[in-house]
Amino acid sequence: MPELKDLEDRTLYIIREAYAKFKKPAVLWSTGKDSTTMLWLCRKAFLGKIPFPVIHIDTGYKFRQMYEFRDRIATEWGLDLVVAKNEEAMKEGVGPQNGKFECCTRLKTQALMECLEKNGFDALILAIRRDEHGIRAKERYFSPRDESFKWNYKDQPLEMWDQYQSVTEDRTHTRVHPILHWRELDVWEYFKQENLPVNPMYFAKNGKRYRSLGCEPCTNTIDSNASNIDEIIEELRTTRIAERSGRAQDKEKAFTMQKLRALGYM
Amino acid sequence: MKINVVIVGHVDHGKSTLIGRLLYDSESINEGRVEEIQKLAEEYKRRFEFAYFLDSFDDELKEERTIDTTGVMFKSRKNLYSITDVPGHKEFIKNMLTGASHSDVAVLVVAANEGIQEQTGRHAFLVHMLGIKKLFVVINKMDIVDYSKKVFQDTRNKMSHLLASFGYHDVPFIPGSAMEGDNIYKPSQHMKWYNGTTLIDTLDNVSVERVVKPLRFVVQDTYSVDSEKVVVGRVESGTLHVGDEVIFQPSNVIAKVQKIVVYQHDLAEANRGDSIGIVVNKEVERGDVCGLPKLPPIAVTEFLGEAVLLDKKLQEGDEVELRCATRWVKCRIQRIREKINSETGEVIENNPAEISENEAALIEFSCEPVVVEKFSEIPELGRFVLVRNKNIGAGIVLETTSQK
Repeated sequence: MPELKDLEDRTLYIIREAYAKFKKPAVLWSTGKDSTTMLWLCRKAFLGKIPFPVIHIDTGYKFRQMYEFRDRIATEWGLDLVVAKNEEAMKEGVGPQNGKFECCTRLKTQALMECLEKNGFDALILAIRRDEHGIRAKERYFSPRDESFKWNYKDQPLEMWDQYQSVTEDRTHTRVHPILHWRELDVWEYFKQENLPVNPMYFAKNGKRYRSLGCEPCTNTIDSNASNIDEIIEELRTTRIAERSGRAQDKEKAFTMQKLRALGYM
Repeated sequence: MKINVVIVGHVDHGKSTLIGRLLYDSESINEGRVEEIQKLAEEYKRRFEFAYFLDSFDDELKEERTIDTTGVMFKSRKNLYSITDVPGHKEFIKNMLTGASHSDVAVLVVAANEGIQEQTGRHAFLVHMLGIKKLFVVINKMDIVDYSKKVFQDTRNKMSHLLASFGYHDVPFIPGSAMEGDNIYKPSQHMKWYNGTTLIDTLDNVSVERVVKPLRFVVQDTYSVDSEKVVVGRVESGTLHVGDEVIFQPSNVIAKVQKIVVYQHDLAEANRGDSIGIVVNKEVERGDVCGLPKLPPIAVTEFLGEAVLLDKKLQEGDEVELRCATRWVKCRIQRIREKINSETGEVIENNPAEISENEAALIEFSCEPVVVEKFSEIPELGRFVLVRNKNIGAGIVLETTSQK
């Protein structure tokens, strides 16, 4: 499809710019549809093997099928997988009972922070998209973060004509968002075109399916009969239900997502 | 067809509301979002506003203004639109440029009750500088002026004059009300005197033509793939074929294209926009640009550009970094020829010693060898960003002086 090719060309350009620019990049992989697409695009950008590590943040609360999918693809695609965990918080038993804000911050954001620090990664490639959430619609392709991980969303860099912000001294790492301009529908059409492996949780069973994958306690199904990629594409062409409607942290309170993201949440 | 549209105009003239209206009337708003916005409006003790679909930061809601650019997508009956909302305040010009730089079409929103204001002119000037050739004007808030034909015509006449000075002629003007939904997505019942099209129909009739230009392939990097050196980059204009003899500048290397590759495939040719790898019989480096010997890229060390500054000051003699495509070089502000008012496009001073934030200027640059093209000929290589620790300005190339 010509539209998908345009999206892909731009993404490949951005991934290659990031690789040329940063000393130690890494890509984040939740095993969900967007970040799996991202990994595939990285393979395409480098014509085979991804030349940097793939980070998976393990909160301990992921679905069994996500771990299985992760381990299978990591082997098949020859990934240099780094699993990031906040062991201390896990030992303390931090969970959704602490409130979603705290749970996400400690098990995801802090786990990632430690992983970045330990490995010295200076760029983190993420598969967020503008159409997922109003806050993500405000992002740049290259978004600098300071040592405390904060997103200074009130003063974002000038970003024109594929000239992305340089690394500045007061920034510890840069978030790189190569599929920011893709829609949910594009992602599924791309899965179909490229014949990518899908976590079966996205397919409907007994009238329910997952539309977005996260941690087990905070991720709900939607009503759906879409049991294969074609049916998902058809469903997305007509639905008016928000993609992340099954994700509790987005909905708890107004601006929870903004607050999470300002602190470095993905 | 996918079309990138940026909505520009002065603060409070209704840009975000207009986009909210387009999303709402085209039924692109998710279920639950309307209720969510209603709840927010109650929380902030406001009346329901379509703009709240766009302004997602809590500060944007508190301050009732757009701070940063937002990108949304929706489908009309005909096209897929990527619509960019930009802030209308002077202090956020940086965000306005970020949002507008990838657009094919600009819609300039002018409130009927206020007419031309500071950012109306500035945004029109910047849209012109960005090389966006298609511009439409929506005279918004017609409901406030009782849908008056006279107000519309007066505003149109003044606007036509301003736009003509930026090179925009025969611009379509649409009288509308984003708040009430007149002539945005649905035709208005209040302005029988207007027999033109709605905004969406005007957009649906846009064609984005692409003129074939000489080959320019920019080098991003070289990778080793299965013991083969692959030069990766993007075709910015023209067509590249296997077997072509090409010349790379500023390296001044002549080489033969042995292969064009993408993941798991070899190609016979590549066209504008393609991110590819090529195998050539010589070494080249990031920042090189290749073309065919007949119309080769030329590296220059001096050129004349028009730029807008987003940092505090830029003085004659300053050294900054210039980035054009993947080439980043040291560059010197040789002479500031004219200082330009970015609100009106008028020259305010000849040979000034410096320019300040939000001012534009004609500048003579001298730099390390870099391939640039006149913006009017190959825009992809005719635009640049200036860097001093961060991106501080942007501009286009007007004239080049070639190196021997």
